[in-house]
Amino acid sequence: MGRDRFVRQSLGALYSRIKQARILMVGAGGIGCELLKNLVLTGFGEIHIVDLDTIDLSNLNRQFLFRQEHIKKSKALVAKESAAKFNPHIKLEAYHANIKDPQFNIEWFQGFKIVFNALDNLDARRHVNKMCLAADVPLIESGTTGFNGQVQVIVKGKTECYDCNTKETPKTFPVCTIRSTPSQSIHCIVWAKSYLFTEMFGTSDDEAPEFDHSEDTENAKEIENLRKESQALNSIRQSMGSVDFARKVFEKVYKDDIDRLRSMEDMWKTRQPPAPLNFDGLSKAAEGISPSIAQQDQTTWTEAENFAVFCDSLKRLSSRLQKAQAQDAEAAAPSVLTFDKDDDDTLDFVAACANLRSIIFGIERRSKFDIKQMAGNIIPAIATTNAMTAGLCVLQAFKVMREDITKAKMVFLERSGARVINSDTLKPPNPNCSVCGVMQSRLIVDPSRATLNDLVEDVLKTQLGYGDEFSINNDVGTLYDPDLDDNLSKSFVDLGVKTDSFLTVIDDEEENPRVNLSLSISEKSLPGDTKPVQVPGKLHIARKPKEVPAPTANGASNGHAEITGTKRKRSLEEDSQREPKRGKIQMNFNTDGFLINDVVIADDQNDGAIVIDDD
Amino acid sequence: MENSTQPVSEAPVTNGTTLPTTNGAVSMGNGAVDVPAQDFTQSPGNYRYEPQLQAQSQTKTLAEPISADEIALYDRQIRLWGVKAQEKLRTANVLLINMRALANEIAKNLVLAGIGSLTVLDSSIVVEDDLGAQFCVSEEEIGKNRAEAAASQIRRLNPRVALQVDTEDIQFKQPDFYAPFDMVIATDLDIATLSTINASCRLCNRPFYASGTHGFYGYIFADLIQHDYVIEREKSNRPTALAPETFTRSIVATSTKKENGKVIEMVTKREIYSPMVLANTSPLPAEQTNSRRRKLQVPPLLSCLRALWEFYTISGNMPSHSHPDLALFTSLATEKHQELLLPAETLRSDFLRSFLQNIGSEIAPITAFLGGQLAQDVINVLGQREQPIQNFLLFDGEEFKGPVYALHPIFPDMDSILEPPIAAPVAGAEMPMPMPMPV
Repeated sequence: MGRDRFVRQSLGALYSRIKQARILMVGAGGIGCELLKNLVLTGFGEIHIVDLDTIDLSNLNRQFLFRQEHIKKSKALVAKESAAKFNPHIKLEAYHANIKDPQFNIEWFQGFKIVFNALDNLDARRHVNKMCLAADVPLIESGTTGFNGQVQVIVKGKTECYDCNTKETPKTFPVCTIRSTPSQSIHCIVWAKSYLFTEMFGTSDDEAPEFDHSEDTENAKEIENLRKESQALNSIRQSMGSVDFARKVFEKVYKDDIDRLRSMEDMWKTRQPPAPLNFDGLSKAAEGISPSIAQQDQTTWTEAENFAVFCDSLKRLSSRLQKAQAQDAEAAAPSVLTFDKDDDDTLDFVAACANLRSIIFGIERRSKFDIKQMAGNIIPAIATTNAMTAGLCVLQAFKVMREDITKAKMVFLERSGARVINSDTLKPPNPNCSVCGVMQSRLIVDPSRATLNDLVEDVLKTQLGYGDEFSINNDVGTLYDPDLDDNLSKSFVDLGVKTDSFLTVIDDEEENPRVNLSLSISEKSLPGDTKPVQVPGKLHIARKPKEVPAPTANGASNGHAEITGTKRKRSLEEDSQREPKRGKIQMNFNTDGFLINDVVIADDQNDGAIVIDDD
Repeated sequence: MENSTQPVSEAPVTNGTTLPTTNGAVSMGNGAVDVPAQDFTQSPGNYRYEPQLQAQSQTKTLAEPISADEIALYDRQIRLWGVKAQEKLRTANVLLINMRALANEIAKNLVLAGIGSLTVLDSSIVVEDDLGAQFCVSEEEIGKNRAEAAASQIRRLNPRVALQVDTEDIQFKQPDFYAPFDMVIATDLDIATLSTINASCRLCNRPFYASGTHGFYGYIFADLIQHDYVIEREKSNRPTALAPETFTRSIVATSTKKENGKVIEMVTKREIYSPMVLANTSPLPAEQTNSRRRKLQVPPLLSCLRALWEFYTISGNMPSHSHPDLALFTSLATEKHQELLLPAETLRSDFLRSFLQNIGSEIAPITAFLGGQLAQDVINVLGQREQPIQNFLLFDGEEFKGPVYALHPIFPDMDSILEPPIAAPVAGAEMPMPMPMPV
């Protein structure tokens, strides 16, 4: 009898190791809340939790460790408090902090038996992946989006790492599509959020990451016109707060700019030309429409309703910005507003402005609810997917704890009707991976006297046998290459290369180059009669593999074909056993960096044929 | 005060065939889809709960549309299944029987999702063993009724959900007890009890789920009687035929709408089910047993679960590690394995050992997975979206396997009959009898 009766019964000898295990969970959100519950109940002895986020109302539908009264509090701290009640015998440690903070260095990671990633962004995932590889700690990586979920086990030298496959980068749009020739709702939303809003209330030279300038040279003339338009809009900004401010802004972007576009007849040979809007006409039509229409976020507002929300939200934002500017008139940088999907003033403005532009270009209008999702990159998220995924994380941890890595799997949730999970054997590391296909070492540096030249001459050339063709890089850029020797005499301190930062040495020899060498810096004062820069132990740096296999293509398709009701005849593992060729499975990342299982299956009603799209 | 407060239905419950339900009984023959759940939205008189029973919850009447607050709270899930499905969820009345770890998980997921009302039923007492995987109970509650103990935690997860507690033994419930519920879920019970509940649910035309775990192993069984749901997809160039897709599923209606310049087809599909008592003696679907390779893929867990149920029916106990128990269990498992036409070598002794080792145990990662899966299926069924489980899901947490098999009394030598073999089995309709097993 007792709290641990069933874990003892089912886990046997493994349970005593679990009881002593010290583990780390990064992220206490959707997957994190579920995972922490499972870890605590399973009896992992000591659990550390890191999350920099605070609790929001929209978390409460799935992050069950949080309640209404916890809104705005630290996720890590509240999760710890709530989960402690599930098992008072577990030691819990919470950090309301960014996992990239220097306190979480390699030594700190080395203190854990397993690390669990329960994150929502690519950047932090990559960081933890890198740290776990450097610390040689197994990582259990998980992600969910909507009904899809997946868990991957990463063990240095034995499995693929998180970065062994290329991840899809966020979508960008050519400037001209956004500014001159929109054809979809998203183009108008990006215009309203990243151009108009920023020009009116933000720092106008802030460039939005959504803009793709690769075609700029082809459209040099139009780009120049657009630049002038921006300047003109910026001068209208000076009259913010005046009676006719709304008219000035409106007539500039919905009439004058449109008239100019329309006059470029070549542009509209194959497209429907835009139709400018009339301020006075709409003012009349919008009489009697209450600004409270903005609260109806499920309906698609009419042209006049959008106009009313435009005027009202412009007024709200203008007075906010002016108030803020008056308050910190002395501050060096002037106050600005930034778009936030959860800030209704900013969302109302973007929704109304996007819809008015859609009307001009004959594009379907959208509800505020929809625009929020598109402008805020919101990923649908539900409790059940997170619960299942978090359950699978712990089952994978059992395999790792039993040191039976061959039984750990790449696991996906599936909704085919034929099964609810699918698994694939873990692949060996990709030899060309820029993260794990590298040699890793510590570099001990005496900050009082070490210079870059000490690294280049003593360590790389003399000790490790590098030739002349190599470069030294960090996350800022290149510090040294054969044509850049200005930094050689500088100290590590002057170069800003500190403890726990990384240097990458890239061998550029034409014949048989070495794999990249990743050096993590440890500062230490060294005796005066020894070299000021040292690598501990002996390093054998492998050579890059000769043949470079084509990288696994990430297809542009991210569409989930209708898979309900089909019966896949085989699971992935059976497939891969039968046909060694990969490509049945595409792993794509949506814009928030979730890895999703993207097996595309076409459902053919008439003959039941199954087409697995693998291009 | 909360003890045995039963939601009282004002809807007639005697005539099972005319009772409107969330599923099945809604006519969709005219091609109109996304039918409003008539029983909830059209007649306020159907509202089943007396406000005084909902001391801690904000009463929502049917006339009241979903509020802006609720949309903000449920934002991330509405973006997945839409406001209409959320509206169906928020008026759904669910019964959850036997509050062990699996039921804790199911309750959490359904309450977070914002169902209308949940009744948790359990007559047993919290013991120390329960603390291992049941996060809804704590040390101070040892000795209290298990449903009551869990309810106080569940209620805190979402005060909008009306939570009822029933502490009466499920064995004493009459068939009409189930009529007020839109969905009945029974967990961690023996086959006889499950079959009785299932039969009662059929009498009042209520969808039924059974689920259970034994350590690393578990299952979900669904008897939705007859369930219609709508899937949306981009319209193909080839027309969608109104025809059977499988033995149990057919397309019964289609319609189209335009969205962002694309033509979206809404396809209404209908699944037909068998009750547990028949499914438990049914063979694997023919496509699963017509090749040796596919037979080898069937986990021995199915045979072991059937053997375990029969063992309990015969002896009234779970198998202990005594020699006669092990011998009986092994012979039952072998018998079930043969009946399923599965090759002897897949009933491995190491698997039998592991299964026996896990009997009666509950561990968090498994209950989390299965409770998540079951709640998701329930949510989708209530919202009339997505393919539901048809009809038996096996879960092996050691092997990461979760196959779903359609177990119906369709025997291999009857393959040539290409009609749905189970006449839409609503209450009062004749049920097909299981055929004698070919040897």
